[in-house]
Amino acid sequence: MIPFYMLERYEGNEPLFELVTMSMVSTYAGEPLHVHAEGLRGTGKTTIMRSCRGILPNITRIKGCIYNCDPENPHCPKHRDMTPEEITALGTEDIPMPFLEISHSAKVGTVAGSIDLARLTDATNPAAQLLPGLIPQAHRGIIFIDEINRLADTSPEITDILLDVMGNKPGHLQIEEAGLPTVDISVSVSVWAASNPDEDPGPLEEIRRQLSDRFDLVCYMGRPDSVDVLSHMLEENSHQHKIRNANKKGSNVYDESKNNKYRDDIMKWSEQYGKTDLPDFLRNFIARLYIKHNLESIRAIEAMQQGAILHSLIKNRDKVMIADVNRILPLALKHRVDGDTLVKLINDVESRGSREGILSFKNKQNKRVEEEEEYFQHNARALKDMSRSELVNTEKDLTPTHG
Amino acid sequence: MLGERTNVDKAASVGNYLNLYFGQNQGVRLGESTVASCKAHARMPEKRVKGQLKILVNRDAGKVFLDFVEEGRVVHIDVYHRPGKIDPRVIARAIFTAIDEHFLEKDPQLRYAEDERFNMVIAYASRIYITTNQGRGTLYNLLQDEVEAFAEYDEGWDHVHILAQLDREDYYLVYIIAEIVEEVILTNGIKLSKVRNIIHGNEKQAQDSYAGYLKLPWKHFKGQQARHLPEKENVNQLIIKLAEKLGGVEEIQEFMENYSTNIFKRKGIQQQKKKWGDIEHDVKQLEELGILKDTPFGKIMTGKGLKLKEFVINHKCELETEIRRNTRRLPSGGGGRFKKLGQIDRKTSKVEYTNRNKTVNNPEQNWSGDLAVPETVIQALKNSYLRGDDHLTIKKQDLHYYEKKSYVPVDICLLIDASGSMAGDKRQAACFLAEHLLLTGKEKVAVVTFQERGSNVVVPFTRKQMVLKQGLATINPAGLTPMADGIVNAVNLIKDSKVRNPMLVLITDGIPNIPLWTLDAKTDALDAAALIAKEKIRFVCIGVEAHRFYLEKLSRQAEGVVYLVDDLNKDNLINIVRMEKQTSSDNKLA
Repeated sequence: MIPFYMLERYEGNEPLFELVTMSMVSTYAGEPLHVHAEGLRGTGKTTIMRSCRGILPNITRIKGCIYNCDPENPHCPKHRDMTPEEITALGTEDIPMPFLEISHSAKVGTVAGSIDLARLTDATNPAAQLLPGLIPQAHRGIIFIDEINRLADTSPEITDILLDVMGNKPGHLQIEEAGLPTVDISVSVSVWAASNPDEDPGPLEEIRRQLSDRFDLVCYMGRPDSVDVLSHMLEENSHQHKIRNANKKGSNVYDESKNNKYRDDIMKWSEQYGKTDLPDFLRNFIARLYIKHNLESIRAIEAMQQGAILHSLIKNRDKVMIADVNRILPLALKHRVDGDTLVKLINDVESRGSREGILSFKNKQNKRVEEEEEYFQHNARALKDMSRSELVNTEKDLTPTHG
Repeated sequence: MLGERTNVDKAASVGNYLNLYFGQNQGVRLGESTVASCKAHARMPEKRVKGQLKILVNRDAGKVFLDFVEEGRVVHIDVYHRPGKIDPRVIARAIFTAIDEHFLEKDPQLRYAEDERFNMVIAYASRIYITTNQGRGTLYNLLQDEVEAFAEYDEGWDHVHILAQLDREDYYLVYIIAEIVEEVILTNGIKLSKVRNIIHGNEKQAQDSYAGYLKLPWKHFKGQQARHLPEKENVNQLIIKLAEKLGGVEEIQEFMENYSTNIFKRKGIQQQKKKWGDIEHDVKQLEELGILKDTPFGKIMTGKGLKLKEFVINHKCELETEIRRNTRRLPSGGGGRFKKLGQIDRKTSKVEYTNRNKTVNNPEQNWSGDLAVPETVIQALKNSYLRGDDHLTIKKQDLHYYEKKSYVPVDICLLIDASGSMAGDKRQAACFLAEHLLLTGKEKVAVVTFQERGSNVVVPFTRKQMVLKQGLATINPAGLTPMADGIVNAVNLIKDSKVRNPMLVLITDGIPNIPLWTLDAKTDALDAAALIAKEKIRFVCIGVEAHRFYLEKLSRQAEGVVYLVDDLNKDNLINIVRMEKQTSSDNKLA
């Protein structure tokens, strides 16, 4: 697989690179950011997302805890009631941030959790015990779902679990297994998804609207439109090229250490994430968008806030600016509102000149006034000044007769 | 006698006229800036003539604005003015005083019966509703300073909008009200607008004017990279709008050819209209956006227009995806704008498939399905442990099976009336329906049209979008309505194709007028309909109310249902066909 640093960046996939970086930063800081990449087949949605595995930073967990318990804040049934001393006694370990995939043969048991077969069949000391599934195991990490529209269509049960996990931050998961007590835990997992809205069974929002709304930001992949980019991509991927590279650098085709720069950035940014907040005027601005354009889901504006802050971070700025909101707007809204509303919203933000301040709501009214002055001529006489014969005019009187 | 200049006389005379015209369902322009009728009024931005207002004769003012059930109870008075702030309370007080004075002028004796006079006026106060751009309320409430806020999309932002619940003999008050409102406007220093002309018409479906809010990137280059994405959204949205109207990317290109400088490729507006319906609105919008411009040689594309064309060519892939996404979208809400008559009673066959993602464990039931081995073993292991067995045993209650799902495939043949009257929007709606069905379902779609003297299989049963699109592009409505021929052709197509639970959907806005076997077109169509019943094809007829009697007979003959719609628009069509597909899968299974 091509490592993250080698991937070709061009205008069309730039938003996706930003999104995955933002999500990794946010996840590492402890707040999930669910992202969904939609686009034509073969444009590299899955490639980009999977390659992120290579730049994920490490997380620290209680030694051996399969639920990835944070030593500072244990949450799993086994550790949550322990005292800090007991936990310190258990020790900690560093593991790479989880990046797990839900495939299409997944079942509720493998995703949420099921009975632990190894323990059950243990010859010496058999016990019935829960084995957490993919989602609890990905706590503090990322879950990737390819072709999520198909999953939503064929596995409504798994979709329901996802709805629960992605509903709040952190999410919630209940694992049930007949004969065992129900386990209820909170999970903080960023869900990444990819889909092609043009393929069967169609776009996610038509299949399961709630699930589509759970994604904070959705990005639409564009195709590369430059010959240079494409030919470079081809060159990098040619068999010849790979062999040549391999000869140069010894056994490994790619220089994985180049990924470190990205990893360090993520760690740096997520530290800043805890310190950066949205300025009040932008917060008000986002809130007003919600009211003015009758947005439905509050998740939309929450995503705008979170996205704008993260975007300013990954651009190495210490202040959130209107440009950040601007950039995030289509990503946070395209899957939530219809095209007309989106364009109106965007143009609302865009149309700020010296005359019309960004926070001004006169904007629309002014425009109307201008339009209307053209519609009527303002030279009408008052009724009072008219003679009786002029008072009542019918369509016939007013329409000039031809010929 | 009272003289020509007195108000009482003027008002009485206006009252008489209004009685006459309102009774004929007409509206009038009162003076130059006031329009009065019992209907809703609309501006006509789609026409070039400015200052013109349309009286929507099919929209009663009482029903539209005040939720009245009975028509003709409410007089709608609009006094147009140059935009400016007008306090509804001032208007209310002025009207109150004017009516009061009018009564006094008419009957000076009332001077001595102040209470009675007050009661007479106040009786009207709760029946007059005033909206200005500063607020709204009933006259009564406004007098008490109770103002409801003006909402942005309310009536009344460039006119004082008054609804008065008046009896016919009270119509003279319309003049009193209009006159005083004009006076208030003028004393506020605001000029009155001149309504140039009024016309009467029906309200068409509201067309949106997108030129107002779309912003195309090629206008000003400010050189900010941050503006990248939003611009693209704007262009995309414009293409989607055009695609909604015209059909698809190919059609947009075809449409643009009509405005190229190569005169051999240009087609006249009439020809365009036949295919795409009323496109004048869109042409106007494009002109406003600066994509088309007028020249002595007709309208041609501007530099911006050429950029747009280039964009369409370069981004065909993405745009087609977007358009298909739009086609898949289900119509929102509504669904009640049609009437269903009849019932289909046919058996259906279903397709079963195994869902490998879900297993069922149901010890009560005998199950004939695929055994889910891993789940069964796990269950057995667990249960053995819980039961305390000393070794693994598999019991009946441990068995897990893969779930079985079934669905009823319904292959649909659209039988589309392509007679002259279907040209334009109705044709587009029917074509949209075909594409929507293909994109949202798993079943095959076919299209048969009938026109002039015969019928054509435009699209044989297919799942390929290209085939469908190419077929639909050939539909060119013209001529008469040979329905019998169409039905026979469609039935033969269904008979000869391998289809599952076939459904024949007839979309027509007329009744047959070209016979097939005899000299009687209607009887021939009825005979043809009998073939539908014989072949056990589900039949759905979508027609207009005017032909109810015949279409009901037709669908009874075919043992099908008929839907009567007020308008053959795509939402109605899609809702009906989806509903029918749903009912056929709910029907008892064979």
